[in-house]
Amino acid sequence: LLLGISGASIEKNITLDSATRIELSCRLDNKYSHLKSLQVIWKRGNETIRHINKTENSWSIQLRILDNSNLGSYSCTLKGEEEISAMFNLQVPTIEGKEKPIVSYEGDTAVMICKSFGYTPIAWTWYMTNGSEQIAINDSLLADKYAINKISANVTHLKILKLTKEDDGVYWCEAAFELGKSKGKLMLKVLSFMVPLKPFLAIVAEAVILVTIVFLYELYSKKKEKHA
Amino acid sequence: GALGSLGHHPPSIPWLPVPPVSTTGGCTPHPPIAGPLGSALSTRFGARPVAMAGGFLSGLGLFLGAFATHMTHLYLSVGLLAGLGWALVFTPSLGTVGRYFAARRALATGLVVSGASVSGLALGPLVPLLLETYGWRGALLLLAAISFNLVAAGALLRPMPIAGESPGPPKDRPGLVRLLRHGPFLRYALAFVLVDAGYYVPFVHGEAHAHEVGCDEHRAGLVMAAMAAVDGGGRVAAGWLAGRPATPLLRHLFAWVVLTGLTLLLLPLGTSFGGLLALALAYGFCAGALVPLQFAGVAEVVGTGRLVHAIGLMQMFESFGSLLGAPFAGWLRDVTGNYTISFLVAGAFLLAGSLLILTLPGSCTSQGGGSKEGSPTLAPDGPEPPPVPSD
Repeated sequence: LLLGISGASIEKNITLDSATRIELSCRLDNKYSHLKSLQVIWKRGNETIRHINKTENSWSIQLRILDNSNLGSYSCTLKGEEEISAMFNLQVPTIEGKEKPIVSYEGDTAVMICKSFGYTPIAWTWYMTNGSEQIAINDSLLADKYAINKISANVTHLKILKLTKEDDGVYWCEAAFELGKSKGKLMLKVLSFMVPLKPFLAIVAEAVILVTIVFLYELYSKKKEKHA
Repeated sequence: GALGSLGHHPPSIPWLPVPPVSTTGGCTPHPPIAGPLGSALSTRFGARPVAMAGGFLSGLGLFLGAFATHMTHLYLSVGLLAGLGWALVFTPSLGTVGRYFAARRALATGLVVSGASVSGLALGPLVPLLLETYGWRGALLLLAAISFNLVAAGALLRPMPIAGESPGPPKDRPGLVRLLRHGPFLRYALAFVLVDAGYYVPFVHGEAHAHEVGCDEHRAGLVMAAMAAVDGGGRVAAGWLAGRPATPLLRHLFAWVVLTGLTLLLLPLGTSFGGLLALALAYGFCAGALVPLQFAGVAEVVGTGRLVHAIGLMQMFESFGSLLGAPFAGWLRDVTGNYTISFLVAGAFLLAGSLLILTLPGSCTSQGGGSKEGSPTLAPDGPEPPPVPSD
């Protein structure tokens, strides 16, 4: 993999899911080529990296990414009259959860879905939060309550049966990749049937009242006709 | 969500119940037989009881849907029961409006059907809000409550004798059968089968086409919403316009159908957001204009006595057109790779329908206004029509 950045201060995110070799390079835009005596430093955090390959206008490093510790932010800095730098963020694929809570009712079943886009995880794990702790969900242990189904390589479902108020809360789906883990957040809201029932009864009452008004008005106007 | 609870593993598609009277035209989604059923029942029992019963059934259907434990429950309760309910409301309501407001039939019909646009626009943000707050079961419950208001609306259909009304059909089934032998009516109904085959294509496939052209989700939604909004405006405008007695109503109808067909033909030209938006607005307006004139036009063709029956029967025919039209357009798109041919074919359907309308007696005479149905050029429609030669 070869990546080039030119000119001004830039950040680039690179997603990696398995061990690989990668080459990062910084290339200077032509408008700056008049700057003499350029010094380019590649850093990871505060640590300077040696073994830079230099060509006419670009400086690059080669990295071997083997495990989680090799990931992170790498930067190249050009020191000359002006200082220009670019940052490369090497990271595991992100998993999206759901921003809006999933709403369900007591006694009903809820299905929570997590997907990984583009990259196939090695394994999925589901967690529920109890207070500040995250507890893994074991569906073989609690088989009549939870079911974890692998729909495809990139999609996992968590099915929760017979919902109660206690199931309300935050859930996490965690995808394990060769280079690390990534989590997605989902929220479940469990309502009792009373919640929609109140507005339902209110609206039905309003409809009944309207019907009554229509008929009463009709009776009234008919009586007026008779007397007139 | 809904499907998950019912034991399926869905791709996460939010399931939206169809709004009671869809903004996409006068047609409501309902089983085809329901139209004539609504007519027959309301002739027998009166418009008011049937409409109120329909309102109750539609609410009941949605209410039962909220407790569904299986997909088939949903199909039966919301699809069949509520669909039947909506049809039982729709036909008597439109028939009654057509009968009561003989002088300003088009305007009255236009105002009435514009209500569908208003509710469609209101439901646009309301339904997602309900789904977010109450989940799909709660949303169905509350939509059921809202549907029960149809009972109140139906209550307003006060039975009144109409002076000067042409005699209705005998109160048994031959009335419907005689309609089936009424040449002009058959042509009218066939015209709208063709119209419906093309009419819904932009509404059903518009968003996908917008995506194809390069609009992102937000903009595509904007195009569709704009189309629905002007649809309402078109309904009222055409109703008002047709009331001006300069030209016969059927000629207005012909003009609007042609315009709608032409704008449909032009739709493939919309390759940018702005262009597509402009064309969608034009189409939405014309498409809306069609609706009240379609129903007011029925009165022109068969007279007010048989209006309710005719509407029901026409809807039954139309439903076949609409059921086939949108999927056919989708198939054309799959075969050709984009929607151009689909829109062109849909426009052609509309223009074909308009030609049929041209063959009707009322559209070529200079008989003014919409209130007369006994004009000598129309086929006589007394209780014993002379046998119409089958065309």
